[in-house]
Amino acid sequence: MLVLQNVCKTYQMGDTQVHALRDVSLELAPAQLSVIMGHSGSGKSTLMHLAGCLDVPTSGQVVYGGLELSKLDSRTRADFRATEVGFVFQKYNLVSNLTALENVSLPLLLRNQSSKEARALAMESLELVDLGDRVTHRPSKLSGGEQQRVAMARALVNKPAMILADEPTGNLDTVTGNRILELLRDFKMDDKLVLVVTHNPEIAELADTLVHLRDGRIESHLTQEVPV
Amino acid sequence: MKLNLLRLALKNIGSRRTRSWLTILGVLVGVTAVVALLSIGTGVQEAVLQQFADIGYDIILIAPMGAGAGQGRMVAGMRPDGMQGRFGTQEPAESNTESGGSFNPGALSGSSETESERMPSGMGESLTRAAPTTLDTDLLLEQVPQLIEAGTLGTQIQPIDTGTTSGFLRVSTPSMDFLNAFSSVLGGFEIADGGSFSSRTQNQVIAGARAAEQLQLKIGDIVDISSIPFTVVGILAPSNGAAQASEDREEGVLSGQGLTQNLSTGISTDLVLRGLTNTEDSLFVLNERASEVLVGRNMMSVTITRVERGASISDAKDAINVAIGQQDATGTPISIQEVADEIQGALSLIETVLASIAAVALVVGGVGLMNTMYTAVLERTREIGILKSVGAHDSQVMILFLIDSGLMGLIGGALGLMLGSILSLLGTQLLGPSLGVGAFTPIIDAWLVGGVLAFSFALGAASGAWPAWRASRLNPVDALASE
Repeated sequence: MLVLQNVCKTYQMGDTQVHALRDVSLELAPAQLSVIMGHSGSGKSTLMHLAGCLDVPTSGQVVYGGLELSKLDSRTRADFRATEVGFVFQKYNLVSNLTALENVSLPLLLRNQSSKEARALAMESLELVDLGDRVTHRPSKLSGGEQQRVAMARALVNKPAMILADEPTGNLDTVTGNRILELLRDFKMDDKLVLVVTHNPEIAELADTLVHLRDGRIESHLTQEVPV
Repeated sequence: MKLNLLRLALKNIGSRRTRSWLTILGVLVGVTAVVALLSIGTGVQEAVLQQFADIGYDIILIAPMGAGAGQGRMVAGMRPDGMQGRFGTQEPAESNTESGGSFNPGALSGSSETESERMPSGMGESLTRAAPTTLDTDLLLEQVPQLIEAGTLGTQIQPIDTGTTSGFLRVSTPSMDFLNAFSSVLGGFEIADGGSFSSRTQNQVIAGARAAEQLQLKIGDIVDISSIPFTVVGILAPSNGAAQASEDREEGVLSGQGLTQNLSTGISTDLVLRGLTNTEDSLFVLNERASEVLVGRNMMSVTITRVERGASISDAKDAINVAIGQQDATGTPISIQEVADEIQGALSLIETVLASIAAVALVVGGVGLMNTMYTAVLERTREIGILKSVGAHDSQVMILFLIDSGLMGLIGGALGLMLGSILSLLGTQLLGPSLGVGAFTPIIDAWLVGGVLAFSFALGAASGAWPAWRASRLNPVDALASE
């Protein structure tokens, strides 16, 4: 269970303070697809970054499995991201000079896994997203959909406890987008926590938990029955 | 983990080929210059020290001081124009006489005039005024128990006339004792044609290889030394010091000028040795004979002694000083070790100065590397964010960048080492003869190789340290947001 309690996040932009999140409290359970919606600047991405330990709140607590993430030091947060979190970004965020296989291997290599083992697991993960034949291609030689699937494979390769996806279908055609959603649903079925930040109402329809943010505050918090 | 980071760093270098190579080139140029200079410098030192080792570190020279100073200066003044030519085909005596037989010191004029006639005003007087400073070597051996051998080598600038060629040439006058004990000091005193001295009562001369060649001497020819006829009984084989002799000639040492000048002033002991070991352009007359027939014309002599194995060189020198005083002679003992130390010190200083200048190029390469790494951090900000989002520690990001810059330094260093080695090998071929140390090889030992590689990697890593630290401190969210 990922719990956010009275979380505030304030950025200093020159002389101006920007309140990205204001007193947000939320519980996100495993085996659920949680979707965060809202306009640009509503604080969706900030919430995802705090949940994935990429950032720390200005105040409040982020707790996962009894562990208060907001109190961890930089190194432990990095370890948490390496073992528990898989990120999928709208812009894919692949390393341009690495092949698909190397990109997917990256989290394992940073965890001191042997190159051989990392390659085997990365290959397995790429086959899961139907890219077993594109492993030697660099991002520039892959389509947007393929790049997003590589990003998905990279997020899954660690077998993390949660997947955090920021507009995972934003730049994709319908078929590819549906394939990504299928993968997320499969992951959820595997008793994992899935958090998706999106503008896409079609994804919202699939959500177990739907949260609307406006100006950094929770506008609505719905738990709905959705077919899986 | 480090291996994985190494692979990633190699990937990064490979993906930015042009910029990486340009950065590496900066380091390469600096390392090439340093390696070439250090290896050549060390090679020269080794070659020079080997020459001293060949002579023997148990040798003490007793060079006379002061007595011939005026004379040395006079001889040096013989060639104010600095011209090298010393020999000239002799013209008919009449033509020279008719033209006034003007004295051209250093160049054999072909004149048949007597020495005093040929001397410029005051010179003959100066030569005859010079006081012999030869020690009694038999007495010296008794006075200084640490010495096992002693011999005298006189050196004179004498007018030479072969009948077809005339002029001035250095005449060395080793004693028989000297030849028996110290032929190694002369370096290359190997008779190629004829034999050694067979008589102490006959006027015999042995010619150095080049002197014989230029004077066109054969065994049995007669050479007038200071108007006294000497028979050529031997011609020496060319010595290893041919290149050195070439240098000597350029400096006027070959004509005895540098030798006498330095023997008399005692300023530069290395030239004393260079004079001693240059047999190419000398004529040799037995000292016992020379002192009889060339008496009063002695310009300079140096006594050479060998210290008993295990005895203290320093104690021997002290005892020699006492002995010189007791013999009422003049002279200063100088050990070969002291001469070697003096020369090595000078060479080390030159090497250090040159290497320091070359190191500037290396620093410039390092600054170029820092610039590249700083730019890389700016360009790769998003990538740093990606690495952190998938779990990279700050330290891993830093190490990645350090390896990246260190590898570029190392590659530059390795290539610079190879290029520097090639240049130093080529350089020694060109420099060997002109430096006067003959053939020598640059010294590229394990210390130089290891030191250069370690330094190059350290230079690269140090240059990349600040950019790497900046990269490691980037906030992952900000880094991911960068375009």
